[in-house]
Amino acid sequence: MKTHGCEIPDELYYSKEHEWVVVKRDHVIVGITDYAQKALHEIVYMELPSVGAEVKQTKTMGTVESIKAVSEIFAPISGKVVEINKNLVECPELLNKSPYTEGWIAKVKPVNLDSELGSLMNAQKYAEYINKLEE
Amino acid sequence: MKSFSNTMASVRSAGKNYLLFQPKWKLNPLRSRHIERSRALLEANSLKNQPQKTHLHKFHAEKGRMEVFAGFEIPMWYKGIIPEHLAVRNGVGIFDVSHMGRTLISGPEAETLLNYITTNDVSALTPLSAHYSTMCNPQGGIKDDFVLSRLEKERFLIVYNASNRDKDFDWIVKHSHSFNVDVKDVSSNVAMFAVQGPKAEQTLQKISSKDLSKIERFKCGWTELARTTTFVSRTGYTGEDGFEVFVWDTPLTSPEKAVNVWNKVLEAGKEFGIEPCGLGARDTLRLEAGMCLYGNDIDEATTPLEAGLSFVVKLQKADFIGKNSLEKQKTEGVKQRRAGILMLEKGIPRPHCEVWKDKKKIGTVTSGTLSPILKCGIAVAYVPTEYSKEGEEVTVKIRDTFAKGKIVKFPFYDPTKYGYQRKMP
Repeated sequence: MKTHGCEIPDELYYSKEHEWVVVKRDHVIVGITDYAQKALHEIVYMELPSVGAEVKQTKTMGTVESIKAVSEIFAPISGKVVEINKNLVECPELLNKSPYTEGWIAKVKPVNLDSELGSLMNAQKYAEYINKLEE
Repeated sequence: MKSFSNTMASVRSAGKNYLLFQPKWKLNPLRSRHIERSRALLEANSLKNQPQKTHLHKFHAEKGRMEVFAGFEIPMWYKGIIPEHLAVRNGVGIFDVSHMGRTLISGPEAETLLNYITTNDVSALTPLSAHYSTMCNPQGGIKDDFVLSRLEKERFLIVYNASNRDKDFDWIVKHSHSFNVDVKDVSSNVAMFAVQGPKAEQTLQKISSKDLSKIERFKCGWTELARTTTFVSRTGYTGEDGFEVFVWDTPLTSPEKAVNVWNKVLEAGKEFGIEPCGLGARDTLRLEAGMCLYGNDIDEATTPLEAGLSFVVKLQKADFIGKNSLEKQKTEGVKQRRAGILMLEKGIPRPHCEVWKDKKKIGTVTSGTLSPILKCGIAVAYVPTEYSKEGEEVTVKIRDTFAKGKIVKFPFYDPTKYGYQRKMP
């Protein structure tokens, strides 16, 4: 799905703060959306959570910086960070190039997945949400 | 994801109190002949809340990411801050800076007025020369920094910050009442572009009637650019060689002349990889060059001596606003100074970050970014004089992390490789 020039893959879940979640067998992968990377543009630096850190839904799990702005990344799902995308330290521009694949941020072992997924949007809802923001 | 910081949004003077200005120079009653704020500006101002536009608005809106800055809707970037920054350092870029204030001050006492309200020596400015200068309040705090060009013996053009347009114009007018001068805001009738970079002269020469190599740095002159009368000064806000181009007689209501010159410069610069550049690159370029941004690095609570601008303060000249305070500060010694910090560890310093030394806070960052040339964090901060020496190691608190940095001289880049003094291969 696509709206306002932004890709919104169907199989993901989305937060209002523009993070995405994909559910795997024993963990979830999180990242920032195409809409978010386009808004930030030229991402030059980021701070990732540490492996083993407990992150909480809607709480900060890292920061991403463009030349002009600093933005917080909020955890879309609560749980324990089991892996981080170390490539982002040297190549934060991966977030711009492929936000849904090479630009993934962290793998999280969720603690409350079913109820938390309910508070996220599917692709259709997220597209409508962006349309509203862009009105 | 939520944005919580914008590097250009801070004004450090907010909340501080200043003594009201008591004029000590009461000359003759109203001798000022003529004061004119351009009609278009008045009209634009009357549409409060609505951002103002420049002559090139259509181009910007089509090609750039627009933001409102100092009441103007202007492009933050077109292609991106980094490619635009690099175009200026390696070739040439063009900026629309028509949001800045442009005021003509003319008359037999124009020099005397300007010598009284500004800190640099206006008498030393020969016709068709320009200099950088400041206006101060009586306490020596900087009201604004600007470039002043002497068009003729009795005619000057002052170009000041967009964020201070009303304040500066009112300040000049207020003091002009005691002098035989005309003050005229021409901002809406004169478009202003900056063409900057090592290929700026070659670019403009292709469409210029006059030999631009004859105009040295901080000199100016009249030329036809693309058959349009323009005033050009070899000045800028990037650290690079380049010109600021003033397209005369082009009202906002009929911007064709300005649009034509802009397009012709873009065409001429194509072979040198010219890019139209937005405010984002303007900020990173001036920061790498160690130039001040008003509202961030300087304001009414900082003096030119603290800001490292003593080269524009001529204490030997006759009385000028702020002179007593600046003399006193010079005698007593400047307690804090604007310094450059080059980061030795990861992290991008931003305005309001604390600067630490020996486990105590010693200062505050006023500007910071990632340097596209050096590929590391750079910052401007005020620190106590004893810590402002080159090579001094400090740490900058970036959110919860302390990152190492060291005090360096301006500019941040190697001036033999970048900037107007570079050694050409």
